[in-house]
Amino acid sequence: MTTTQHMPVSSLQARTECVIRSLGPDDKTAQRLAQMGILPGTHLHIIRVAPFGGTIEVSGDQGQSFALRQQEVAAMTCDPVAMPLTSELVAVGQTYRIRVLMGGKTFHQRMEREGIKAKELLQIQKTGTKPIPVYLVDLNRQVKLGEGEAKKIIIERISNEPNY
Amino acid sequence: MNQTTESVTIALAAIPNSGKTTLFNRLTGSSQATGNWPGVSIEQKSGSFALGEYNCTLIDLPGAYALSPVTEEERVVRDYFLQSPPDIIINILDARNLYRGLGLTLQMALSGLPMVVAVNMIDEAGRQGISFDLKVLSRHMGVPVIELSARTGEGIPGLKHALYEVIKHPEKNRSPHISCPPLLEKAFMEITKAINQSGIETRLDHTFFAMRLLEGDDQVQWINNDKVSALTRKWHRRLTQSLKTSIPVTCANCRFNAARGLAMEVLRDQPVFEDQLTKRLDRIFLHRFFGLPIFFLLMFLLFQGVYGLGAPLQELLSTGFDRVGTWLASQVLVISWPVWLQSFLFEGLWQGISVVTSFFPIIALFFLFMSLIEDSGYMARAAFLMDRLMHWLGLDGKAFITILLGYGCNVPAVMGTRILTSSYSRILTMLLIPFTLCTARLQIFVFLTALFFSPVISPWIILSLYVCSFGAVILTGLVFKLFRIGGSPEPFIMEIPPYRLPTLHSIALRTWYELKDFFFRAATLIVAGVLIIWLLIHMPADVPPGSAATWAGQLGHMLTPVFYPLGIGWQETVALIFGFIAKEIVVGGLVVIYSGSDLAGQMISHITPLQSISFMLFCLLYTPCIATIATIWSESRSIKITLLSLISGMGIAWITSFIFYQSGLLFGFH
Repeated sequence: MTTTQHMPVSSLQARTECVIRSLGPDDKTAQRLAQMGILPGTHLHIIRVAPFGGTIEVSGDQGQSFALRQQEVAAMTCDPVAMPLTSELVAVGQTYRIRVLMGGKTFHQRMEREGIKAKELLQIQKTGTKPIPVYLVDLNRQVKLGEGEAKKIIIERISNEPNY
Repeated sequence: MNQTTESVTIALAAIPNSGKTTLFNRLTGSSQATGNWPGVSIEQKSGSFALGEYNCTLIDLPGAYALSPVTEEERVVRDYFLQSPPDIIINILDARNLYRGLGLTLQMALSGLPMVVAVNMIDEAGRQGISFDLKVLSRHMGVPVIELSARTGEGIPGLKHALYEVIKHPEKNRSPHISCPPLLEKAFMEITKAINQSGIETRLDHTFFAMRLLEGDDQVQWINNDKVSALTRKWHRRLTQSLKTSIPVTCANCRFNAARGLAMEVLRDQPVFEDQLTKRLDRIFLHRFFGLPIFFLLMFLLFQGVYGLGAPLQELLSTGFDRVGTWLASQVLVISWPVWLQSFLFEGLWQGISVVTSFFPIIALFFLFMSLIEDSGYMARAAFLMDRLMHWLGLDGKAFITILLGYGCNVPAVMGTRILTSSYSRILTMLLIPFTLCTARLQIFVFLTALFFSPVISPWIILSLYVCSFGAVILTGLVFKLFRIGGSPEPFIMEIPPYRLPTLHSIALRTWYELKDFFFRAATLIVAGVLIIWLLIHMPADVPPGSAATWAGQLGHMLTPVFYPLGIGWQETVALIFGFIAKEIVVGGLVVIYSGSDLAGQMISHITPLQSISFMLFCLLYTPCIATIATIWSESRSIKITLLSLISGMGIAWITSFIFYQSGLLFGFH
């Protein structure tokens, strides 16, 4: 089962990735996106958010990069694929794989000491508390992360759906 | 030997950001002509070049993502193909990202028209380590595929040779097959059959024609065949009900499915390449905190580049013109002419030509720097950074730059609206630019504030006038947006192209054409306008120019009821009429009106400080000058838009001055 959903505007942060399921209700926007090769099934990577917000830069899986407004992405239905650990798209109790750690060398070293590195599986068991408790599945261990740390950890869904 | 030459029409069609203009320049060189597409404010460019015994006319079509239109530009391209199909198409693909453009290429290959595909930017693709097998592409499309770099000129002879061969040995090209959902295929087949039977004459492939009919929302306007129209409408209804997405989206999906496979085959399954340089540069230019400061720094440099360099040149030119004018006027032969003729020639005609010429340096510099920003790819970044703020006004981020440059001079700014991608933002921006406080108006304000206020207060008044100008831009923007002036906005989805090094050749050509364009389109209007104002100020011939007895003076008196509530006397009203020519001569006009001696003393005795501010407000908001109006007309090609600009300016100026002056009086100022 996938959770096809509308992604709220606030979840459209840098380094979030999703698979488009439908291009949204506005005909002109849908047609424009389709003609640029952005179609249902396309992986959309959010590269960055503009300084005043509202506008984001995204790239499709064929490397084309473009700007659009957050509302337009929010109107599509998408399956979130990857996101920062702090994203509201993270579902409680679901197992995720660490895709990549952002940040500098010292951050990487510190995280590695805790057992947090790429490919590691983890779960979030409770939201809304700080620091954020993270359960590392393979190590069977609970780690507490500050928000600044969690932001730099990009996780991806693991599921039975085929890779696109 | 004089061979008979045959003329061939070639259309250049490509998606935006694929180097279309560069290739156009490369092929046609300096033989370009510009005009407008019928009925819309979209520029049409054409040029010519010789190809053996053939004389080729190259038509530069506006950038379009598909022949199923979303934007005004795409409608132009679609209608062009359906109504007057070219003899050959040159389609451009971006070598750095084939997939992006293949959707349009496939669509055009289906047209049945002879086509040559140019894979452009081969040098940059090479730098990124991309290699292809273009034979695969050629085989799939059934058309010649040539690799080239329009920037360096590499591969151009190959393209010309391929074109020559296609003209010499025309073959109906074999259309590629794109698989679609069965119901859609059936619809295409039935409509195609109906077209076959209808006897419609077209060089286009009938299936292609059927697709355009079915995809278009305004379907049947280009065919006069009830049977085909009825069938199209029937299928349109049926497909809209049973397909999950709209017809154009479904078709795009089919095309890009084919494009994805094709791109993969051509690229021999190489992974998608990222442009590392672009990635690294964007990390700086689009940085969360530094992005905006860098943007403003660049804008400052741009402004200084255009006006800091341009203003002295402008000054130099107009002084030169004055000198030459004075010298000519003092010639024995000229002195013997009647006084009115001398005045007409030197204060009317010569003045008009001088106004036109003085714009040349800033227009040249404006387009020099603008092309630099645009061709390098930074323009899209700037638009991205400013989008949120401008979206609020119903505009996109690029409009910010043109409006900003209006604060130097309105004329190049209005010409600069051409960089905007949708005709909606173009018209809206064009209407907002006249409210920006240009340097010519600044001269009036500096003069008047120095006259009426202490040096401590003066800068604050000028600052308030700037604030007022921002306010006017924002408020009118919101009002125009509310009333949908300029049509409905187009979806904002803007490509962010990789950075590129602009070429001197393109920039120089562009600047040259803009200057030529300004000269041919706007110059006559400007001179005519200056002459009309001259007549107003100098007729009837037996009274002193600018005095109460002239037409302008009479007009000033006639308008007294209109301007009295603003605290503007007839003398200043006449000065405002002068101001139509150019704001630079308002102060000079006042000298003429107050007949010379002790202007400052006379003005202070005639005008109160409150009235002077009311006058300045009016100056700020009413029509900038004849040159701006002429440029708005030549850019929009619409009397309606030009009149709207004039009237809205006048109206807003009157209301603002009225409110200011009357409330000033109420509060006991005078």
